[in-house]
Amino acid sequence: MDQDKLEELRELVDFLKANGIAEFDMERTDLKVRIKFAGASAADLALAQQLMSGSGGGNIPSLGSTPAPAAPVETVAEEKLHQVTSPIVGTFYDSPSPGSPAFVKPGDQVDVGQILCIVEAMKLMNEIESDVAGEVVKRIASTGQPVEYGQPLFAIRPR
Amino acid sequence: MFRKVLIANRGEIALRVISACREMGIRTVAVYSEADRNSLHVRFADEAICIGPPKSSESYLNVPAVISAAEIADVDAIHPGYGLLSENANFAEVCRASNIKFIGPPPEVTRMMGEKSTARQTMKKAKVPILPGSDGVIATEAEALEWAKTVGYPVMLKAAAGGGGRGMRICRSAAELPALFQQASSEAAGAFGNGDLYMEKFIERPRHIEFQVLADEHGNVLSLGERECSIQRRHQKLIEEAPSLMVTPKLRAELGQTIQRCMKDVGYWNAGTIEFLMDEDGKIYFIEMNTRIQVEHCVTEMVTGIDMVKAQLRIAAGEKLSEIITKPVTVTGHAIECRINAEHPEKFTPSAGKITAFNLPGGMGVRVDTAQYAEGVVPPYYDSLIAKLICHGQDREEAMNRMQRALSQFVVQGIHTTIPLHQKIFEDAEFRAGKFDTKFMERFFERQGHKADATAEDHFSPMQPIRLSGTIHG
Repeated sequence: MDQDKLEELRELVDFLKANGIAEFDMERTDLKVRIKFAGASAADLALAQQLMSGSGGGNIPSLGSTPAPAAPVETVAEEKLHQVTSPIVGTFYDSPSPGSPAFVKPGDQVDVGQILCIVEAMKLMNEIESDVAGEVVKRIASTGQPVEYGQPLFAIRPR
Repeated sequence: MFRKVLIANRGEIALRVISACREMGIRTVAVYSEADRNSLHVRFADEAICIGPPKSSESYLNVPAVISAAEIADVDAIHPGYGLLSENANFAEVCRASNIKFIGPPPEVTRMMGEKSTARQTMKKAKVPILPGSDGVIATEAEALEWAKTVGYPVMLKAAAGGGGRGMRICRSAAELPALFQQASSEAAGAFGNGDLYMEKFIERPRHIEFQVLADEHGNVLSLGERECSIQRRHQKLIEEAPSLMVTPKLRAELGQTIQRCMKDVGYWNAGTIEFLMDEDGKIYFIEMNTRIQVEHCVTEMVTGIDMVKAQLRIAAGEKLSEIITKPVTVTGHAIECRINAEHPEKFTPSAGKITAFNLPGGMGVRVDTAQYAEGVVPPYYDSLIAKLICHGQDREEAMNRMQRALSQFVVQGIHTTIPLHQKIFEDAEFRAGKFDTKFMERFFERQGHKADATAEDHFSPMQPIRLSGTIHG
């Protein structure tokens, strides 16, 4: 399998895991994929189907390829977490520079205005601040990932 | 040829460009605001990136957002459509600096032809007739009389320091000029603190005639003939047609040649339209140039058989015009376009909302360019154009009849549209006879007003005086 496909698959697996999807089938002219995580349930399957129907031809839900009409996907925990979304289009980085430690990690307490990440746009590094105070529950975007306006970056449990 | 193109626009023109790209095997990237999440141009693009909230200034007009989207999607080129950023020379420059091909003219040319006075100078040098103007302040009545004598009446006196109709007078003879000169000057002094005036030739009943050009990036230019766009309401075009009944083959050929030479000298690239006014004697005068593809490009496509958007893509990819247009340009038959707006057909108030029924006409010689659909929502943030209905026929008569048939089968429910207005225009004797100018719609509304019965719906409810009763206790 070539590098591109492998990369696509990794992104797909990340996406499925991040959104708590347990089972996923897809068939394209160039690729057929069946993924099943331990503990599959009917509810997860329904969510996967809902996401699939939003896309035109079974595209991998990578960078904004299709705007899914489904409601914002929540994490596996049922509680309503606050999502910090990107205010700009660009590339997400979780640390100030390659190799340096991430700005924040799950479990960290953050304040309003605290820098969570960088979104790079047109060679400018834009520091993205938290709009709530609370605990970082999860980092939704991955370093190096292209993000669009409104794309969820972090889930925070407000205090 | 480009591998991937980003379309920096929305609505029907975004879909138009996406369609041309698809036919050419070019991958497409749509950008959209949150209000356009369920748009057709988003759905039919290969990739789509949300670039901002509903307001245009924060999304479609947001240059960093558009460029950033182009970068992360790794596109080769950007097609700007019409409106929005299409004539923004700064945007074209940022594209160039970012190594993204802007599908249009070079920024310097956009700037030059977009600026009214430099455009006029450029055309004047190229011997393209321009609307005579004094190009400077007319200091005295004597100067004014002199200038008016050389140019010919009627003329317009205009305030140099401001606009909006103040300090403006139309003068139709030498006899009335001195008095009007004084009036205009005092009014200007009062409104702008400056009584200086300049003068322009005034055309009473002008016809709006524009010429379409295509230029490659190797110095070759072709005129694709004219369109007539005289049916306008408040300077907004409602109906366009090609060819114009007023343009003879001789004028088409001669003006075409002149324009081709001029655009070559200017170093123009890609698609452009040169707008003229024609006076009652058939003389034409340059008014301005649009350095982009236009809404009404479709009527030219129907009569010439040339796909203009594909031509734009191919030109920007470096192809020569001779490879793109392989036969002499000919005009076949007659085409008319009606702009269908989401507006009340009489009050012209914008009508945003959900479309509950949407049936498009089809059949021989009927084309609809639209990005709307049943259950689609017309958002309140953008212009009101929701569809273009274009009909082609062997002659104007057939095109008109076809349009009437197509309008009668164009069903839109849930919002108001200007379809009923177009239907009335196509029944109008003056329109059918081709006897019109840019004042047509004013006269048309007057005729419509006279036709309305006493029993007709009253659109104007007079204000009832408020009666206050009761005593005020101290």
